[in-house]
Amino acid sequence: MHSYITSIGNISPQNTLKGVGFPDELISRESNCLACIEPDYRELINPVQLRRMPRILKMALASSQICINQSPVSNPDAIVVGTGLGCLENLEKFLLSVLKDNEHILSVLPFINSTHNAVAAQIAMMLKNYNYNITYCHRGFSFESALLDALMLIDEKEAEHVLVGGIDECTPNFIFLHNYLGYWKQPVDNLQLLKYKTSGTIAGEGSAFFMLSAKPCDQTYARIDAVSTCFNLANTDEVESEIDTFLRGAQISKQDIDLVIFGINGDIYYDKTYYHLQKSYFDASSMYGYYKHLCGEYYTSTAFALWLAAIIIKSQSVPAVVRLNSANRQAIKRVLIYNHIRNMEHSMILLSMPE
Amino acid sequence: MSRKVVVTGIGIISAIGNNADETLASIYSLKSGIGRLSLFESIHNNISVAEVKVSNDQLLNLAGITTEKEFYTRTALLGIIAARQAASNTEHSKLIDARTGLISATTVGGMDLNEQYYKSLLENDTYKEYLGVFDSADSAEKIARYFGIKHHITTISTACSSSANSVMLGARLIRNNQLDMVLVGGTDSLTKFTLNGFFALEILSPTGCRPFDQNRNGLTIGEGAAFLLLEGEDVADQDKIICELSGYANTNEAFHQTASSSDGYGAVMAMKKALKVSGLQPSDINYVNAHGTGTVVNDLSEGRAIETIFAPAIPKFSSTKSFTGHTLGAAGAIEAVLSVLAIKYQVAFPNLNFNQPMNELSLKPQIEVTNANINHVMSNSFGFGGSNTSLIFSKV
Repeated sequence: MHSYITSIGNISPQNTLKGVGFPDELISRESNCLACIEPDYRELINPVQLRRMPRILKMALASSQICINQSPVSNPDAIVVGTGLGCLENLEKFLLSVLKDNEHILSVLPFINSTHNAVAAQIAMMLKNYNYNITYCHRGFSFESALLDALMLIDEKEAEHVLVGGIDECTPNFIFLHNYLGYWKQPVDNLQLLKYKTSGTIAGEGSAFFMLSAKPCDQTYARIDAVSTCFNLANTDEVESEIDTFLRGAQISKQDIDLVIFGINGDIYYDKTYYHLQKSYFDASSMYGYYKHLCGEYYTSTAFALWLAAIIIKSQSVPAVVRLNSANRQAIKRVLIYNHIRNMEHSMILLSMPE
Repeated sequence: MSRKVVVTGIGIISAIGNNADETLASIYSLKSGIGRLSLFESIHNNISVAEVKVSNDQLLNLAGITTEKEFYTRTALLGIIAARQAASNTEHSKLIDARTGLISATTVGGMDLNEQYYKSLLENDTYKEYLGVFDSADSAEKIARYFGIKHHITTISTACSSSANSVMLGARLIRNNQLDMVLVGGTDSLTKFTLNGFFALEILSPTGCRPFDQNRNGLTIGEGAAFLLLEGEDVADQDKIICELSGYANTNEAFHQTASSSDGYGAVMAMKKALKVSGLQPSDINYVNAHGTGTVVNDLSEGRAIETIFAPAIPKFSSTKSFTGHTLGAAGAIEAVLSVLAIKYQVAFPNLNFNQPMNELSLKPQIEVTNANINHVMSNSFGFGGSNTSLIFSKV
């Protein structure tokens, strides 16, 4: 099973929306939450629809529209979305109106807009797309489940082009509440994320949509070869064994991987898994990279990582700001993304340079 | 792609019973699970709902949970109970194999505990440990931990079609040879959040839903969970095969976020495509377990779609939501289990509270338990966001 990334629309805390490469200037903030840089939506979404549209839906429609504008097709054969927390802002809004206003609901709109599949549904409505439409909401597996589904749809010949996206929004209440659990650092400079050596990370958000196609085209970024997930692994031995199995399935060895992109998020406790793999598992001649200092931590951050991997393969260069070691490979033919969320949801995505 | 997908286990808990036998007994005696709200205080306590008549303490016992009890949402407990029944005839070693998966579905996940603690959490951190159980993934991960499943775990959330889509995904994972065995289903508990949401949408029936009736006045919100164990026919223990999952389709109506089109074209597309996948003709379908929520809009739309597909020879059809209520994220799986039972016991289930056909159509659902040759059953699930899914189960 494989498919080609033929276009991308990525709204993120960095300037990723315009152009097809790595942004020239990076955003750095003293914060523990990186918010998306949002475009002028009026250029991308019908202004009538824009009124009262929740922010997450604006981000979804804009990034999927940009993806489609650059893609070989105007309407995909399927729409597949992964979102860890869905339309969180509206869920919180409706929940508070139930709890605080003693069930005297002033507006039903937040309820309608709180539905997890509102993102995929609104994209379908925007495109008048009647095809397969699904939404995965499972923490650190959300985007990976969407990718696997898209790969299967293409393998089944059910679809030639699948629009697949990973999207999550951050809200003030989410930041506030999860601070109780020590999820976040004190405000830090995101570009220096690994310097602090403290527990906690920085929150983030993003909306990255990809057109996956059965065949490559002129503008193809990369080929997706495999995706896999595993849950609740007991220790690094189990992680290694899962990656072994994954690579064996893809018929490659560790030495074949030119670049490993790790989900390192600056939390000294949870990053141990990544550092162990760098030291004791992966091949020292592979290049190592990371990305959460650019987009923050969120359940579908691997969609941002997939964008990064795709532009690295297409441009054949690894931006210095994402590099972790000084190894060098002549060509970047194979990239592995390995991420875990608090050692619970582990995921692997393998990409390669289109032949 | 020719690999057959078979059902080898089922589990169900809803307002009409804590397992398949109790469920059937309620249906055979035409006993609906719709009644008064008792789970929580609400200004809407005069509106009919379909509660599972078991307290959380009893659910903990049924699920066999003895530690960290306070962190089990009602949604997770219902899910564990149904999943445990579905897996009861299977060796544990098979369940935790890397070629076994778990696909769950829910609409609001751990909302039952979220609405208990959210207000207080905004003031202080007393209940901070509960923050980890509010989202949609929690129930699936609780089920995964319960069995020790580590691979291919995910949660689908496509509103009222959620768990029909988990059944479909499980079947595709087997057909694509990604997995040999997969637990598929969904779970949702009754919450203030959904009760108020549907109330504000003005689609709740005050007295109990009357699917496909001219005087229908809305849906009845329910709760429950159901899981099915799916296996590749080539690897399944032949004695355990109950029926085949022969067809499935997911289409989108792209019409309106909360309403279905008046001619039901989305439903037509889903049913047509499911028939195509199964290689069956409309005339092969012996019973349709309809989505049939009891809202004015859904039933007319679905009724028209059923006529479009099947007229003039309309098969037996009914909405079992008149028994179970609309269990949202669990509905697709609950009705999939009922479809499996229809084949197992060669019976078409009745539709309660039906008196008068809709003026626009001449459709009359089954109103009695009817023994018949049931070779192929279609189960429809339609949801917000135009998400339409049809499944077809076949006798083997």
